Amino acid sequence: MSLATGRQSESARAASAAEARYRIDVPIAPARAARVVALDDRAAQVAARLAAHRWAHAEFLRADAVGELRELGGGPLPLTAALIGADVVVVLATEDGGRDTAERIGRHCFRYGITTAGVVLGQGFEADDAVAALRPYARVLLLSADESDVFELLTALRV
Amino acid sequence: MGELFRQYWIPAMLAEELPETDGPPVRVKLLSERLVAFRDSEGRYGLVDEFCAHRGASLWFGRNEQGGLRCPYHGWKYDVSGQCLEVPSEADNSSFCQNVKLTSYPLVKIGDVLWTYMGDAATQPPLPEFEWTHVPAEQTYTSKRWQQCNWLQAFEGGIDSSHVTFLHSGGLKTDPLFKGAKGNEYNLNDTKPFFEVADSDGGLFVGARRNAEDGTYYWRITPWVMPAFTMVPPRGDHPVHGHFWVPIDDENCWTYSFDYHPVRPLTETERQAMVDGHGVHSKNIPGTYRPMANMDNDYLIDREAQKRGETYSGVAGIAMQDASLQESMGPIVDRSKERLVPADSGIIKARQKLRKAAVALRDEGVTPPGVDPEHHRVRSAAVVLPQAESFLDSCRDAVKAVPGTAQHTV
Repeated sequence: MSLATGRQSESARAASAAEARYRIDVPIAPARAARVVALDDRAAQVAARLAAHRWAHAEFLRADAVGELRELGGGPLPLTAALIGADVVVVLATEDGGRDTAERIGRHCFRYGITTAGVVLGQGFEADDAVAALRPYARVLLLSADESDVFELLTALRV
Repeated sequence: MGELFRQYWIPAMLAEELPETDGPPVRVKLLSERLVAFRDSEGRYGLVDEFCAHRGASLWFGRNEQGGLRCPYHGWKYDVSGQCLEVPSEADNSSFCQNVKLTSYPLVKIGDVLWTYMGDAATQPPLPEFEWTHVPAEQTYTSKRWQQCNWLQAFEGGIDSSHVTFLHSGGLKTDPLFKGAKGNEYNLNDTKPFFEVADSDGGLFVGARRNAEDGTYYWRITPWVMPAFTMVPPRGDHPVHGHFWVPIDDENCWTYSFDYHPVRPLTETERQAMVDGHGVHSKNIPGTYRPMANMDNDYLIDREAQKRGETYSGVAGIAMQDASLQESMGPIVDRSKERLVPADSGIIKARQKLRKAAVALRDEGVTPPGVDPEHHRVRSAAVVLPQAESFLDSCRDAVKAVPGTAQHTV
């Protein structure tokens, strides 16, 4: 068709660099309310470093020794209250201590339709149990030795 | 990123493009450099600067004869290393031509592919050892197609398992190189896969998990070897397939697509299906590597076939279903406009690894992952595992290429 007329097809024209200039250019409003939950002490240190960055709708929490959630440097929060309004929960773990909390968070998120992601930081498989506890619920599990993965994930999710 | 690619052996062309000694030279554009490839009288392969050192005429017009490529303009002649052999206008005993050498790169045949290394000769790595190029010829088939977009947006489709359930749903039922596998049922019955992403020595493993029978998950495991090699998890006893994306320039790339079976020859039916553009391959315009369905004919989109449910997007063929959407993003997609979701974590991680490797190379000279041939010995896999099992723990052998052993597949 277009070859016969000598004119570009709709697809060829639309995919050109020239046409890309006419794409609607509006800022993308952050659409996700995120909770980042650290399950253990090392994960809490990572969360604290992340919290120092500027985020639109991210709140950072940690699980204490008995599995209760707390704001970083703050008081305890019931799980339901901590996650109310969240549409994505990113769970951080570096070892197995937080497996029960991981499972509680996973169940809660599953029940309330909150997308769950797990980032397990460390070398080897120091957090096998935490991973196993999260697996049924976490839409994605990122197993990584690189702390910056969490920053990259949150940045890409525009939280 | 160009420097990063120059650390690796990459596909330069198919071996079928230089089938005979003293045959016609072929234009090759790679990493934004214009080159010409030829095969001399002794069968040696050469990949040299396209333009004659004298006046800049294209050596695509060159006469390939008597051990070299001669520019037809004034007769300057070059060997496969780019060394000038003759400058007819100079005196017979002139040493002038010894000081004239075109930029050149090695060109080596491994399997169906001619590979080149465009980096510093001092750090040239050992030759690649991807399994698909090392099995006997009757067990493997490779095609290539021109894709009109930046290589990265094409490559990212190779580690994005969640699009298969939608875009390729028609192909899972009908494509001769896909259909009939038990795993397809799991694919089609569970449209919301879960993902696990883990580092490998050479890149990543991306595991996509779907529900299978009670107490089990169906896992599809995709390896990525940096910078641009991916494999598709297998289906039944169909040949295993995958891709290598090679930048032509910032706005075009070559997609090399391969199928191989680790332990048996491809059947005539399978090979013909590949030639006909089924599976991951495309039907190309004869004499070219441009797909017959391309942006100039709106990919031959068939809205009636879409309505009938034969294709999900209206575009036929798995390869062109992918390419049509990747090209529709524009020559280089504006990633500041994306809204990524957790299921895109493989893509997020891959971008991060590429960027980190490029920075480490630039600032500290660190050799990136995927250069070591040991990193090439990977396979994709499809397995059903008990729900409690980690795909990484359970599939360590399945994702390793061991010659003479069958793929792990469902």
